[in-house]
Amino acid sequence: MKNNRKWIVLFLLPGILLFAFIFLATLVILFGSSFTDWTIGKELSFVGLKNYINIFTEDAGFITAIKNTFIWILLQSTIHVVIGVTVALMLSRKRWYSNAVRTIFFIPNVISSAALGMLFLCTMNPQYGLLNQLISKITGEPCTTNWFLGSNSAFWTVTMTWLPYAGLVTILVMAEMSSISEDVYEAAKIDGATPLQTDFHIVLPLMRNIIGTCVVLAATSMLQKLDIIMMTTSGGPGNKTMNLPMYVYETVFTYKKFGKANAEGIVLIAVGIVCLKVIRKAFKMDEED
Amino acid sequence: MKRRVSKLIALALAVTTTAVFAGCGSTASTEVKDEAPATEATAETEEVAADTASEPIEISYATFMVGTHASAAAETEVIEAFNKQYEGKIKVVVEELPTDDAFVEKMEVLASSKSLPDVLIGKNGIRELAIANGQAVDLKPYLDEDAEWMKYVGEGAMNYNMTDDGKVYSISNQRQNVGYFYNKEMFEAAGIEPAKTWDEFMTNCQTLKDAGFTPLALMTGENAWTTNLWLAAMVGTANDDGNKFMNTSYPDTYNTPEFIDALGKIQVMLKDYTTADAIGAIYSNAANNFEQGQVAMIANGPWMCPDFSDETKSVAGFADKVGVALYPNDGLISQFEVGYILCTADKSEAEQQAALEFLKFKTGAYAQGVFLEKAGVLPLTDNVEITDEYKAANPLIAKTIELAGQAKYTFGTLDNNAYPAVIEEFAKWYPSLAYDEITAEDLASYLSAANDASK
Repeated sequence: MKNNRKWIVLFLLPGILLFAFIFLATLVILFGSSFTDWTIGKELSFVGLKNYINIFTEDAGFITAIKNTFIWILLQSTIHVVIGVTVALMLSRKRWYSNAVRTIFFIPNVISSAALGMLFLCTMNPQYGLLNQLISKITGEPCTTNWFLGSNSAFWTVTMTWLPYAGLVTILVMAEMSSISEDVYEAAKIDGATPLQTDFHIVLPLMRNIIGTCVVLAATSMLQKLDIIMMTTSGGPGNKTMNLPMYVYETVFTYKKFGKANAEGIVLIAVGIVCLKVIRKAFKMDEED
Repeated sequence: MKRRVSKLIALALAVTTTAVFAGCGSTASTEVKDEAPATEATAETEEVAADTASEPIEISYATFMVGTHASAAAETEVIEAFNKQYEGKIKVVVEELPTDDAFVEKMEVLASSKSLPDVLIGKNGIRELAIANGQAVDLKPYLDEDAEWMKYVGEGAMNYNMTDDGKVYSISNQRQNVGYFYNKEMFEAAGIEPAKTWDEFMTNCQTLKDAGFTPLALMTGENAWTTNLWLAAMVGTANDDGNKFMNTSYPDTYNTPEFIDALGKIQVMLKDYTTADAIGAIYSNAANNFEQGQVAMIANGPWMCPDFSDETKSVAGFADKVGVALYPNDGLISQFEVGYILCTADKSEAEQQAALEFLKFKTGAYAQGVFLEKAGVLPLTDNVEITDEYKAANPLIAKTIELAGQAKYTFGTLDNNAYPAVIEEFAKWYPSLAYDEITAEDLASYLSAANDASK
């Protein structure tokens, strides 16, 4: 046992070192420097809670970013997951089209976000984009809607670049569904349950943990969304499509205010932790079945 | 025994993974190794070489003039020529960044960790960051002691980049005279001439529109370049106050009557006189719209001229259809670029000297000549001769030089005069301006706020 402990420590060491130097040290620096006025070429000085007070009281852009982020978290952890689970339930019926649909549905998940951003940008180009051409053909009127930068359409157009593509949720739920014993389905059938009743009263309750995991993944993905927004709207028009990661990026690269950006980063992490706690509680993920 | 071997293999894999992750953090860069024309190295470089025995001194250089960039061919030729001339003594290790934006963002990150390359272009606030982080070197003493170099740099370029305390942290390699290009066929069909006043200009736009042409190639993405050239021209030619404003680095406020009036005109131009894709478009979209004969006018500099006869970019015979004009009220953007900075303050004497040699080469007579020839970039002084032969082969560039002598108002670009955060605000708010969600006054106040936050 003693000998084993030595090996365990040795195996864990690279991982612990990586974590300590890459994540832990960064987090400590992030937290510490969020109380400073860190910028390039100036002496670092302690400013207490000034950065935190500033972002919540004087920074309208940050408030918009936090509001948008919460809306996207809500949409992603509900509609996105519902789409993924629904498709999984449909595919579990094992019809002739199941394999093809599963592959097609997963395609957006294997394309890089940058490429996906470009794809949407071109498809929705106001002048040459496929979507406007299609609308023009159907209506017979020229359509030059600027989907990504029109003030009424921007938020929902950006949302549509990720909301429906729930391939990952589908794959995870299907994997969990395969672990349900055939006896359970058979028993339900003998008791006269319809396929819909089986899904709602047997399959979905058994899927609680994996659905909870999918909600966690979907919600936290919204705390990392930067690439597609950068490729399409850069947070504009104005701050209409600004989210927290994009706002942190802007504070760093446009204003070079690292202390303030790190305070925003700490808020971002706090939002993530709160979301995680709420979701785990909602899905009773810490409790035994 | 078997278990122990398995554990050892697993441990080795874990260590290897760690090493691979560490390796991922190292910088990737490309080297220019091609042969260069044989010329003599300077005496200073010989000294540098003597100090470093057989190994050439490596200096780092970052550039965005790659790929399809208008100056890519000139850039490659100059770097290759330098490496050839200084073979065995100095080697330039080039890091290529695919776009201007990618270049600026990467350099901002490097500036924050005090690890900028030895030589680079200091545009979009990078020079200020290099000064602030202590990497930038004052070039004034070197200019003072090298009369030959100074002859080709010139007083104008030196003074343009001189700080209030008499230091020169960057040297340009080009003079920019920027008017606007127009499609002569469209102007002729609409029965108009380049406008003499801004009122006439707006009327011309309407006339072109009525004749079935899209008047302007505008863009609001990236740095809103082609749009902001018009904006700068409107402000710079409005009156003496406007002209003074456009010749001031980092002005106090954008809430001035001239600026607000010009933003009002830009709003009309974005709404009524440009392409449907202008809102959110990047430079290549705007350039493409002009070069494909889709729009009548684009504001841009002579470096665009080689593209007009390049059939991979423009329609066949397009160069013959293009004219160049001063802005209304006889205005012309005339400025020197921020240019190259030397970031070797914390390097050894030999490395400093080697990097300085490269900077001198990049801003010297040879490089200016190559950039003129290959990229249509105007040299800093008249000491780099523009031959009659060159002028005959490049009539638009010759015309731009001629127009410079007729300009009543000259001024700089917003990119050169404003904080990067201010430029970012244009891309952010121009769509809202175009769709009537904000007013010109609102935009001016947003710009002023970004200006204040950058101080």
